[in-house]
Amino acid sequence: MTDRVSHPTYVILGSGGHTAEMCRLTQALLQQADVKQAKKYQPMRLILASSDSTSEHQFRQALPQASRSAESVKVPRSRSVGQSWLSTIFTSLWALIWSCYLVWRDRPQLILCNGPGTCVPFCYAAYLWRLLGRLPSHSRIVFVESFCRVETLSLSGRLLLPLTDLFVVHWPALATRYADKKNLRYFGRIL
Amino acid sequence: MHLNNVYITVGTTKFDALILAVTSEPALKALHNRKCTKLVIQHGNSEPLTVDDSQLIRKNYGIQIEQYKFRPNIEDIKSADLIIGHAGAGTCMDILNNEKHGLIVINDTLMDNHQLELAKQLASENYLYYCKVNDLDAHLASLDFEALKPYETQPENLKKFVSAINELMSF
Repeated sequence: MTDRVSHPTYVILGSGGHTAEMCRLTQALLQQADVKQAKKYQPMRLILASSDSTSEHQFRQALPQASRSAESVKVPRSRSVGQSWLSTIFTSLWALIWSCYLVWRDRPQLILCNGPGTCVPFCYAAYLWRLLGRLPSHSRIVFVESFCRVETLSLSGRLLLPLTDLFVVHWPALATRYADKKNLRYFGRIL
Repeated sequence: MHLNNVYITVGTTKFDALILAVTSEPALKALHNRKCTKLVIQHGNSEPLTVDDSQLIRKNYGIQIEQYKFRPNIEDIKSADLIIGHAGAGTCMDILNNEKHGLIVINDTLMDNHQLELAKQLASENYLYYCKVNDLDAHLASLDFEALKPYETQPENLKKFVSAINELMSF
């Protein structure tokens, strides 16, 4: 139990709407009634794309208390909007190498993400390192689909559905469609 | 109900058709009839109105135009009586979270327009309206914004989410 203290929670931030949603979710986690529970999610580490100039500020403003001790790490993007598919292969590979290195180094207990492209390589890296025993066996990957996905999953969502421990959707149509997926949950409206 | 202050936002995209539609004569007439006196336009990468156009609108309809490309827009949202925007999730959430009247205008030129799903879903639950660019003026004239519901958050659901994660981590 004590070794858990050193394992951070990775909060992966994306752009605009993604970040606003992530702020609400993290807030709920850290401000739950049971303070002892909430504390277990500390320390936090904010992961964001190197091109992202606003998310960190937005997050720190929404959670001034909790984010005080949170370090931020800037990582290369898998794919920028409009980038060609061929060069995407190389940038994705580069992002994956980075993710593997960071996850290996920090051994996060929880990866919490909600859809920006940045989160995909991190989840794969965490899945891989857990399989290989580098991560504690109680480490978990939680993916919250974007609020704007009503009927279809996002690309990140489709890539991550098979390997996440908890996959949250916001709308009943998706819950029905993927009713056979044990890791997929619908809690009603949470945002 | 009066719509004194109307905020138009295209987000980070380009949506010339929306700007054109809102500043078309029938749309301005409809806005004027609803006592609109100020139109704040966040035009993003779309072309802004010319100074001449703005002056003409002010003269003919008594509507003052304020335009900008990007800026933190929380004040614009809070002071608006009606928000007209593209189907971006951010715009939808701004409308909902600030309990504003909202009219989402669909951008047909976007290919993967999954964001439309959200606007449709929210409209089906009476939280906002949506329409096509071509119908904007007619909708501005006829929609009953008072009939929209305020968006209520459901903290108990969020609690369930938190418990599920607690349980998953076996804390």
